[in-house]
Amino acid sequence: MMSTRALGLGSALRKAALNPNLVRNQVAMRNIAGKRFIQVESLRPAQNIEILNSQRLKRPSSPHFTIYQPQLTWLLSIVHRGTGIALGGLFYGFSIAYLIAPTTFDTAHIVEVVAGLPEGVKYAGKALLAAPFAFHSFNGVRHLSWDLLKLLSLKGVYRSGYTVLGASAVATAYLTFFQ
Amino acid sequence: MQSLLRATRSSNFANLSHGLPKRAFSTSQRYRQATPQEKPVLMKEFKIYRWNPDEPDKKPELQSYNIDLNQTGPMILDALIKIKNEIDPTLTFRRSCREGICGSCAMNIDGQNTLACLCRIDRDGGKNTKVYPLPHMYIVKDLVPDMTQFYKQYKSIQPWLQNDNPPASGEHIQSPADRLKLDGMYECILCACCSTSCPSYWWNQDEYLGPATLMQAYRWIADSRDTAGDARKAKLQNEFSLYRCHTIFNCSRTCPKGLNPAAAIAKIKLELSSE
Amino acid sequence: MSSALLLRSTLPRALAARHFARSSLLVRHASTATTGEDAKYKYVPGGPILQGTVNDPTTFPPPNPSHGSYHWAFERLLSAALVPMSAAAFVGSANPSVGAAVFDGVLGLVLVMHCHIGFDASVVDYLHPRKFPVLGQVAKWGLRGATVATLVGVYQFNTNDVGLTELIAKVWTA
Repeated sequence: MMSTRALGLGSALRKAALNPNLVRNQVAMRNIAGKRFIQVESLRPAQNIEILNSQRLKRPSSPHFTIYQPQLTWLLSIVHRGTGIALGGLFYGFSIAYLIAPTTFDTAHIVEVVAGLPEGVKYAGKALLAAPFAFHSFNGVRHLSWDLLKLLSLKGVYRSGYTVLGASAVATAYLTFFQ
Repeated sequence: MQSLLRATRSSNFANLSHGLPKRAFSTSQRYRQATPQEKPVLMKEFKIYRWNPDEPDKKPELQSYNIDLNQTGPMILDALIKIKNEIDPTLTFRRSCREGICGSCAMNIDGQNTLACLCRIDRDGGKNTKVYPLPHMYIVKDLVPDMTQFYKQYKSIQPWLQNDNPPASGEHIQSPADRLKLDGMYECILCACCSTSCPSYWWNQDEYLGPATLMQAYRWIADSRDTAGDARKAKLQNEFSLYRCHTIFNCSRTCPKGLNPAAAIAKIKLELSSE
Repeated sequence: MSSALLLRSTLPRALAARHFARSSLLVRHASTATTGEDAKYKYVPGGPILQGTVNDPTTFPPPNPSHGSYHWAFERLLSAALVPMSAAAFVGSANPSVGAAVFDGVLGLVLVMHCHIGFDASVVDYLHPRKFPVLGQVAKWGLRGATVATLVGVYQFNTNDVGLTELIAKVWTA
């Protein structure tokens, strides 16, 4: 039904159905069926927008971070934000805990608890704190240099990115084992 | 008479007509021509994002197509056209110039935004190539994203020369040094590869302008002939339009024209702060 | 993390579709759309329905340097200040002096502001109230409350206890 209307064949078929003479006349039939009576319906602008909007509502959003190639650029960026949130969260958590219970979270108690931990846990904990701090600090300097229009070329971005990773690894090892 | 006959018989003409083989199509020296080499078949799988607006409830999916790379042009666009011509005419994508100047065929190929016409096919037949539309865009059909918001944002920065004090006669004069400032920005073809590679643009594209539009904003701020720079900069003084840029650099990393939108945005930020 | 991101990217469309479903029942016969912003196809930030026609440019929020260049410059200033302060903290913790209390006080303040701006940027990026009317407000005001509490807590710790740098030095060698 939709397709005959869209092709403009509706009236031709109806005419053929109502007029038996026409069906018998092969030549006339062929002429009618061969021509397409295209009916153009003019729409007001508002109707156009309504059609567009009804289509828009059904459109899917294309996939993004799940399919995007892992690149140093955005990986370091999200790690920078992640480490910042982790360290900031720890800082906020400790400060608020001290505000609520200053006798439980004072220096003496914390040092006592940490001193009681096994060596391995101590080293792991130190590395777990030192790595985000070192990375966030070095990468922060990298960000500041960009803000002063330094290292803005793609080469600068990649070289400084690997430098930051290397420096963070060294600093983490130093803070974990030699401090 | 006798002498005339002899002369005719011994003439070069007569010798030529009988001495050499007749030339005909069937006797052309084909054996001396190079025979076309049979290239081995090199099949490769292309996985392409499909979504049909006529069946809106069907979820988007990846459809596989296998084609012989030795019967295909070198670029991803060649492969897409071959698939559309020979396998599946319903595959829908935008393309026009096939030489990286129209920006129509921007899409995500093997995880990177680029122009299909400038992206070589990886000839490793063992690995498939995945083709998605530009990331985090509403899809009209298959690889065709709705670019309306992108164009509306481009329009919002008024991308034309504004000068309230035009020269009395002739053109706007510009020094070579000032002209040089526009290099690396005016070449942008607005393919939207950079904007749709930007995570900030993914999350906030209703308010954040994105790298392509911001670089064009700076293209007019940096133009010595334009006198509306202050108004252009003032518009960006809000939380979203400019400052959702966190210098991630996906834009410069992915630009198929080798431009550097991140650098342009860094310059806008510094200029806004040093006023 | 990833599921949250997936959710937030599909949410605007889901909201728009839900709105469509609800309003199509109520105003089925009202088809007097003029701009595409009628009740049936309401604009949802980040959704597929856009404001204005395809030929209208997008609009800008009212200009305010406090949310623009001043904010940006202040953020950089704090970050830049933390570079020498971190270095000084490493040196200072080795030989604590009279200035240590003042130093810890300033460090606490700068750190809290730096953290607040960083958290705030994340909230604006991922949970802005224009897209998340309830959760966004909770995040925004929760962050402000937490920042004030942290400010008080860190001040208390610096005045009543050994101070930030000394704490870290002691825990590190515990």
